[in-house]
Amino acid sequence: MNIFLHELRAYRKSTIIWSISLTLIVVFYLSLYPSFAHDAEEFTKILEGYPEAIRNAIGINLGGFFTILGFYCFPLSFITLCGAIQAMNLGTSIVSKEVREKTADFLLTKPVTRTRILTSKLLAVLTAIVLTNIVYLAAASIMAFQVKTEDFSFKLFIMLSLTLFFVQLIFLALGLIISVIVSKLKSVLTVSLGTVFAFYFLGMLSSTSGEEAKRYISPFKYFDTAYIMKHASYESSFLIAGAIIIILAIVASYFVYTKKDIHAV
Amino acid sequence: MNVIEIKNLTKTYGKARGITDISFNVEQGEIFGFIGPNGAGKSTTIRTLLSLIYPTSGSATIFGKDCIQFAPEIKKEIGYLPSEVFYYDNMKVKDLLKYSASFYKKDCTKRIKELAEIMDLDLNKKIDDLSLGNKKKVGIVQGLLHEPKLIILDEPTSGLDPLMQQKFFDILEEENKKGATILFSSHILSEVQRLCNRVAIIKEGKIVTVEKISTLKENNYKKLKIETKAPLEKDYFQISGVNKLEVNDNITSFLFRGNINTVMKKIADIEIANLWIEEPDLEEIFMHYYEKEA
Repeated sequence: MNIFLHELRAYRKSTIIWSISLTLIVVFYLSLYPSFAHDAEEFTKILEGYPEAIRNAIGINLGGFFTILGFYCFPLSFITLCGAIQAMNLGTSIVSKEVREKTADFLLTKPVTRTRILTSKLLAVLTAIVLTNIVYLAAASIMAFQVKTEDFSFKLFIMLSLTLFFVQLIFLALGLIISVIVSKLKSVLTVSLGTVFAFYFLGMLSSTSGEEAKRYISPFKYFDTAYIMKHASYESSFLIAGAIIIILAIVASYFVYTKKDIHAV
Repeated sequence: MNVIEIKNLTKTYGKARGITDISFNVEQGEIFGFIGPNGAGKSTTIRTLLSLIYPTSGSATIFGKDCIQFAPEIKKEIGYLPSEVFYYDNMKVKDLLKYSASFYKKDCTKRIKELAEIMDLDLNKKIDDLSLGNKKKVGIVQGLLHEPKLIILDEPTSGLDPLMQQKFFDILEEENKKGATILFSSHILSEVQRLCNRVAIIKEGKIVTVEKISTLKENNYKKLKIETKAPLEKDYFQISGVNKLEVNDNITSFLFRGNINTVMKKIADIEIANLWIEEPDLEEIFMHYYEKEA
């Protein structure tokens, strides 16, 4: 419990900043909705001029773009990108922070098992992400009700918003396994930004080609907003793929971390 | 009773040298010196004892329990001070020490205050703002606050001024009197000589010898310096038991171990101007161990 609280305190500032940032983004975008909805027809014409591949790549789905849910999908892809960076940062810092700040010797010579250390730290970053999501979801919901022009399904709104959390979980697990395997991460930010953007662009490329199998390459494409809106459910094959990645990465991290040598600095 | 038993401990890192077949015991209640130059394998041995790294082969027990298998249990009674201390920068000294204490199921507040007072450490400062020496003090308090039965120190004195070193040694001696066993690794002989009962000398990952300090310095080692009236033949004193023979014009000096009469007879046969016989300090004995096998 002491490690958990200590870690949570260490992430307090960054969690607040991320929550505020994500909230500001969603508030800003949703505040544009009323004027969008107003000029819906003209916008449709402009957007129709874009090739379909590009529209797919940046996440615009003409069919429902001018309903609030359809419009919400557009900032959501950007918010998910930011959220992925936050999660990846947290994930990679779990182990690498101790190496970089050279506090591993301090923590690992205390009477606790490595498994407990990793679990406490993992739970702490998980809590940070859950808190971020709660703040974000609250702000997004309030904003959506403020700007709506017609009624919408709140259940779908929540389902769409939760994709942020799922993508974050995947990147958290990826970050963790990277930080456990790479013994000395010099800079968390370069690694996490690099990985997240690489997957983001891979995702963009895969959606232009339209091949279903390629979507498995990028976690950003696991949750197709159009599909969710149409069927009011997630695609189970991608849910399973995501769950497998998370479980494998976390189990492997525990395995490597309990076996690895902690070298002097 | 042995607090630490190390049996054939080996750790290799790819090409780099680790430690090879290290065995020695540390008895309860002693201050045991672990000495060797940088890179000889002192830290590797200590980090294995603390299960920070895992041995390639061999094993070690602390308090009679395997140091890897029972690591968390053993560590309740170990205080460790690494050679370089770095702590969570944006914490206050007080908070870090509280965090450290929270791992042990006892109330350490009183001991923290005592130690901080002796070491002259300001508990309300941020660790960030501390000098190297003061960070080291945090490390000392952190390592001792739970009154461990075994104190492991890895080159602990770097960064401490002589006055603080003195206070630190006083604390260690006091802890030792209360029953704590101390493993003290260092490359500085004088501090080991001052504090320790026994030493293990390590060289290139192997233990060269384990001896009592008093035995190391025992009379069978003599440092002789002879001034003669006329230059001596270079190998006049080249007899068994003589080490580090140096001949400079009229001055001949060497270390001698063995029956002193053989040397005295040799000396009696020549015309001498002056004669010094001294016990060598630990430094020279240490060099002797190092040069012997080089």
